[in-house]
Amino acid sequence: MKPLLLTEFEKMRDQNLMELTAAHSAGRKVVGTYCLYTPAELIVAAGAIPVSLCGTRQAPISAAEKYLPRNLCPLIKSSFGSAVTDTCPYFYFTDLLVAETTCDGKKKMYEILGKIKPLHLMQLPQTQEGEDSFHYWYREVVRFKSRLEEELGTTISYSGLKSAVQLLNEERQALADLQDVCKHIPSPISGVDLLAVLHLRNFFIDKREAILMLNRLTAELRDMCSAGSSPFRPDAPRILLTGVPVGTGSDKVIRIIEESGGSVVCLESCSAYKKVAPVDESLEPLTAIAKKYLLTPCSCMSPNNGRLELVARLAGEFAVDGIIDLTWQACHTYNLESFTLQQGLQKHHDLPFLQIETDYSEGDSEQLRVRIEAFLEML
Amino acid sequence: MDAEQFMVKSDQELWTRLNMDVERFKNMPPMLTQAYTNIFLNQKNRPKGMSYFNDCVANIHTGRIDELMAAKGEGKPVVGTFCVYVPEELVVAAGGICVGLCGGAQGSIADAEKILPRNICPMVKSAFGFKVGGICPYFQAVDFVYGETTCDAKKKTWELLDAYVPTHVMEIPQRKGARDKALWLEEVKEFKTAVEKVTGNQTGHDEIAGAIRLINDKRRALQRLNTLRHHNPAPISGLDMLLIEQIAFYDEPGRFAGKVNELCDELEKRIKSGSSVAPATTPRIMVSGTPMALPNWKLHNIIEKSGAIVVNEESCIGTRYYKDLIDESSTTVESQLERLTDRYMQIDCSCFTPNNERMSQVVKEYRESGAQGIIDYCLQFCHTYNIEAVKLRQVCEKEGIPFLAIESDYSPEDVGQLQTRIEAFIEQIQG
Ligand code: SF4
Ligand code: SF4
Repeated sequence: MKPLLLTEFEKMRDQNLMELTAAHSAGRKVVGTYCLYTPAELIVAAGAIPVSLCGTRQAPISAAEKYLPRNLCPLIKSSFGSAVTDTCPYFYFTDLLVAETTCDGKKKMYEILGKIKPLHLMQLPQTQEGEDSFHYWYREVVRFKSRLEEELGTTISYSGLKSAVQLLNEERQALADLQDVCKHIPSPISGVDLLAVLHLRNFFIDKREAILMLNRLTAELRDMCSAGSSPFRPDAPRILLTGVPVGTGSDKVIRIIEESGGSVVCLESCSAYKKVAPVDESLEPLTAIAKKYLLTPCSCMSPNNGRLELVARLAGEFAVDGIIDLTWQACHTYNLESFTLQQGLQKHHDLPFLQIETDYSEGDSEQLRVRIEAFLEML
Repeated sequence: MDAEQFMVKSDQELWTRLNMDVERFKNMPPMLTQAYTNIFLNQKNRPKGMSYFNDCVANIHTGRIDELMAAKGEGKPVVGTFCVYVPEELVVAAGGICVGLCGGAQGSIADAEKILPRNICPMVKSAFGFKVGGICPYFQAVDFVYGETTCDAKKKTWELLDAYVPTHVMEIPQRKGARDKALWLEEVKEFKTAVEKVTGNQTGHDEIAGAIRLINDKRRALQRLNTLRHHNPAPISGLDMLLIEQIAFYDEPGRFAGKVNELCDELEKRIKSGSSVAPATTPRIMVSGTPMALPNWKLHNIIEKSGAIVVNEESCIGTRYYKDLIDESSTTVESQLERLTDRYMQIDCSCFTPNNERMSQVVKEYRESGAQGIIDYCLQFCHTYNIEAVKLRQVCEKEGIPFLAIESDYSPEDVGQLQTRIEAFIEQIQG
């Protein structure tokens, strides 16, 4: 009952790497990113290839712990670990790393990472409110532009920027369309598979090709909906997952939810729905880019009312039965925000809410399974 | 003062007026009395000048609170802060009082954990718990608190604290460039406005100049004291120094500076006459890292009970608070605020990235204090100091400085383990 196109996405894993190797030998530059706040339009407009280096695997963590404190979020340790062990081919090919001061752990880790490869750090304000914040961030976007131009030996033109905005907006639309298919009851695709697609998309060298494939998958899923085909029973509890970033390798909780009979129909996280808000094409591109990215509703912002609004809206649109809020161990901002989120949601929607704090290891899987089963039963 | 005489005072009537949980809080003074007696009053050959600071502790829940309430009664602002980045000069300029609210006690943590996650910094939890449990007279007395965005745990906690006490937030940038300064200066101005709202008056140049001088004097007095305590043999214990540094955050600044200077006079005499609290052969340790809010005396207590002496605190509770002064020569308010911002931007907290100035500062203080090793103290779950310790260790290795990094919270559980590690470290530096 899996969509056929899924295998094609899987196949792209090797092909993307081959394409990247080829592009690199042909002199294309590669820019590694770690966060949704990175204005990818600038990288594309500079003619470089953006790749996400955010660590989602357990394997490199022990290597990271030789340098970094243990009680950091697994995402930070995984990212650092694959860099320091040089086991990530994408990291290997990158010419420049871009990072942001999103959270304590990351910003201090980047100081050490910056010794391995050239790293550009964007200073992110900690609030989205007020003109000062916007101007500060706008200047950071401009500074990033200059660094890219300097580092990659190119100039970013106005028209280049305009078309990069269009291209990435198209990609966002394709991503939104794909995820919106899950509004159908029952959803035609499992959360695990959806995440795999979203994850693999990160590594497409050719954005056009990614958009095409995403659209084809969406069409196939729509057909499945019409044909009444789904991996879930119509009464499977529908779950919205919010919180920290997840990817293939760190999808433990989604797997357990679905093995326990739930259907993860919406992922409000960086790689998924948080990503789809477009850049306003009617504005001057740099201003529009700065505006859009600053509004990303991440817990590193204070206050971060945007996230509550987004989760509440998605919960309605996807007709979910419950919300699971995922926090990586030692991530203070998401951990603290969980309380605010739960309270906010309770005030407006009477939706069951469960916070889960875990890491990438499988050590607590059985314990999580018990809690998740109990939660699903309650729905 | 004799150990038998010392007592932390109680005033249930005052606490009731402050809407505190008196039933619970009334156990606090006896507990503090006991802890203070054991840790401080049994030290040998304490300087006489410490008696003022004993009094400060005795009056911590009463006399000083009366002073805060009296100021409030006259319409003066009383502002609570959590960080050495919030400029107390502007509160003082408005005739008000600025008090540090950082929590240093285990007792309020369970209150906090009803709302906050367990695995965040104990200082943040302790402070939050004090407010939620209604068991801190300072929290009850303030007009508002001024938080800042220095770290993840704090900035997200302010969002929640606002439900209990009006909480404003100062956005502290994470770098020290020209644009960061511009952003910061705006925040400083906003802080000034918030304070002025309480008084209903604008503070002018003369008031600000007076406040800058006053707080500079306080910082100068602490600098002087710190230089004297570096002498070998040490004229004052690390515990007593720490206590004074903690009291700096809530006592009346002018009176405090006077008493610190009196103590300095006494220490100068001691140095001349060779009177000390420990022999010259005592292993000398410098502490660096995260702050220790009152009554967090855990690390110093372990170190000094293990036969070493603490000779410097490179910490927000130590040199980070007083090493820099504000230029006093400004002739306009605009330039006063700018120079004030300049001074605050020199503070080298790990929340900045990069924060390379701190590396050389640590080495400098190590040399100046005549220490023989550094214990880097990291409050549990403080990511910025914890990761910065990685760099600090490298620097110390290069400089040949013995270095021990410890991570701890307020619970007594790890005392035994810490003691073992610290004793081993002391042996190592004795060579
Ligand atoms: S999950 Fe939290 S701690 Fe980890 S990188 Fe993201 S914001 Fe930082
Ligand atoms: S010690 Fe660290 S975690 Fe605690 S308040 Fe300070 S910076 Fe934040």
